[in-house]
Amino acid sequence: MDAQSAHRFNPSERTSSAIFVENLTKWYGPRQALKGLSFSIAPGEVVGLLGPNGSGKTTTLRILTGYLRPSSGTALVGGIDAIEDPAGLRAQIGYVPEDIPLYNNMRVGEFLSFMAQLKGLTAAAAARAVDDVAQRLDVSRVLRVLIGKLSRGYRQRVAVAQALVSDPRVLVMDEPTNGLDPQQIISTRELVRSFAGVKTVLIATHILAEMQKMADRVMILLDGRLLATHVLAEQNDLPRHVRMRVAGSPEQVREALARVDGVRAVQYQADGIDGCASFMVEGERSAESLTARLASAVTSRGFALMELTDVSSDLEEVFLGLLRSRNEASP
Amino acid sequence: MRGFKLLLLKEERALFSSEIVYVLAAMFLVVMGYTFSVALFLNRSPSLVHLFFQMYVLFLLTVPIITMRLLAEERRLGTMELLLTSPVSEVQIVLAKFCAAMSLIVIMLALSGSYAVVLALFGQPDWGPIYGGYVGLFLLGCALSAVGMLASSLTANQIVAALASMGLFLLLWAIDDFGFLLPDPYDALVTNLSLSAHFVPFATGSLYLSDAGYYLSITLLGIFLTVRALGRR
Repeated sequence: MDAQSAHRFNPSERTSSAIFVENLTKWYGPRQALKGLSFSIAPGEVVGLLGPNGSGKTTTLRILTGYLRPSSGTALVGGIDAIEDPAGLRAQIGYVPEDIPLYNNMRVGEFLSFMAQLKGLTAAAAARAVDDVAQRLDVSRVLRVLIGKLSRGYRQRVAVAQALVSDPRVLVMDEPTNGLDPQQIISTRELVRSFAGVKTVLIATHILAEMQKMADRVMILLDGRLLATHVLAEQNDLPRHVRMRVAGSPEQVREALARVDGVRAVQYQADGIDGCASFMVEGERSAESLTARLASAVTSRGFALMELTDVSSDLEEVFLGLLRSRNEASP
Repeated sequence: MRGFKLLLLKEERALFSSEIVYVLAAMFLVVMGYTFSVALFLNRSPSLVHLFFQMYVLFLLTVPIITMRLLAEERRLGTMELLLTSPVSEVQIVLAKFCAAMSLIVIMLALSGSYAVVLALFGQPDWGPIYGGYVGLFLLGCALSAVGMLASSLTANQIVAALASMGLFLLLWAIDDFGFLLPDPYDALVTNLSLSAHFVPFATGSLYLSDAGYYLSITLLGIFLTVRALGRR
């Protein structure tokens, strides 16, 4: 959870990490976009880079893909230095930029073959790679279609396909679900999850819910600094909160709720203007059908349940909490 | 080298799939045909000097249209990010785009070579000025393409790129008139910047290293500054 821990690297981490960043800074004229960013990502990890617009996510990705040179600091991908050998670094990476930049006057197959060969594949190997990646991303049907005529969803798939066509060890994606419909978002999410343990994936986004479903770990970036890292697997240890409004004696309702399996604590909050009592129930995250059992515990005793809302402590709360504490700390 | 070839092929496919290029080449050949016929019937001499001066002026107007999309289009679409995150260098990207533009210019020059063939079939042309004229036009094409490409690297708007390079070419075309107004030694300094002053010797069959050096210097400077413009990000 704590960002500072990311700055204390083991000596072996520099070489064993798929991505290693230490004290990275980037200035755009007088404006400093990155202020000493440090983190490392292990091979096979799916990591999210989360932050509001302008927090330095895209700048970080652009440095890691060799597009931008850092002002100072170290950025290594697979042990290759972004400053010393940018071409070698680029050969390791598949990159899906934001806004899906593609050549509209090229056909999908032609474009994928061009990108594969640009990454060093021979023409024959590129043809095989295009077939493989087209099947995997379900773009085989549009291989002969002009990119300019594709829908947003297909364009996104083609953008991911070009990043994967050379079978890179590291995949970097900038806002990969922007503008997609729900079905396409689910497909992208499943695709990214299928890389876990196989490829190292770094995804930048400002959509919190997406991160929870895709990443093993989330790094929260704000104003060019790493604010926190959050291992999503640890969420099972976090409590789950349910807010309830019930018409009835507060003491009796509280007692009924406290008896439900998986409930850690029940906090009586206030009486509403309609004579209903409000409670905040803290339960175990692993407790199954907690909300249904809470509702049943109340109604089976003859109390009227007016409201039940799951306000679980999730990544959004972590993120907003960090933002709040940051704003309070700054003058 | 492999990256360069791939990029060159991509550029040529993009260039030759654009209808603008065919309209431009057709217009070029129609004007050339008209000039050739009129000059031949009026002068009754087997020479291409008039044609070369006509091509020189047409290059000032058409090369900006050929070069305007080279980098401005990549910038507008955002595809420059795809190229620059692939294992190819800025130099390879710029040279591929320059060579693609030059390939069209060479094709236009080669098509105009049919007029020299007509002269050879029906007369006894002096080949010296004809070879010189073509060398001069090739070097002029290189210089104009490099500067046009530089303008295209500085903006995402193709029209702005075309107008900026066209304006600069027309200024360098007419700058020797301004040189005549200046006292010595500034007159020579300004006249030496003139595209026309360095082209006339080629068109009339006199080849000087200083003239070739002028065009080659502009070409190299244009390519160098374009690479620098791509690196500035």
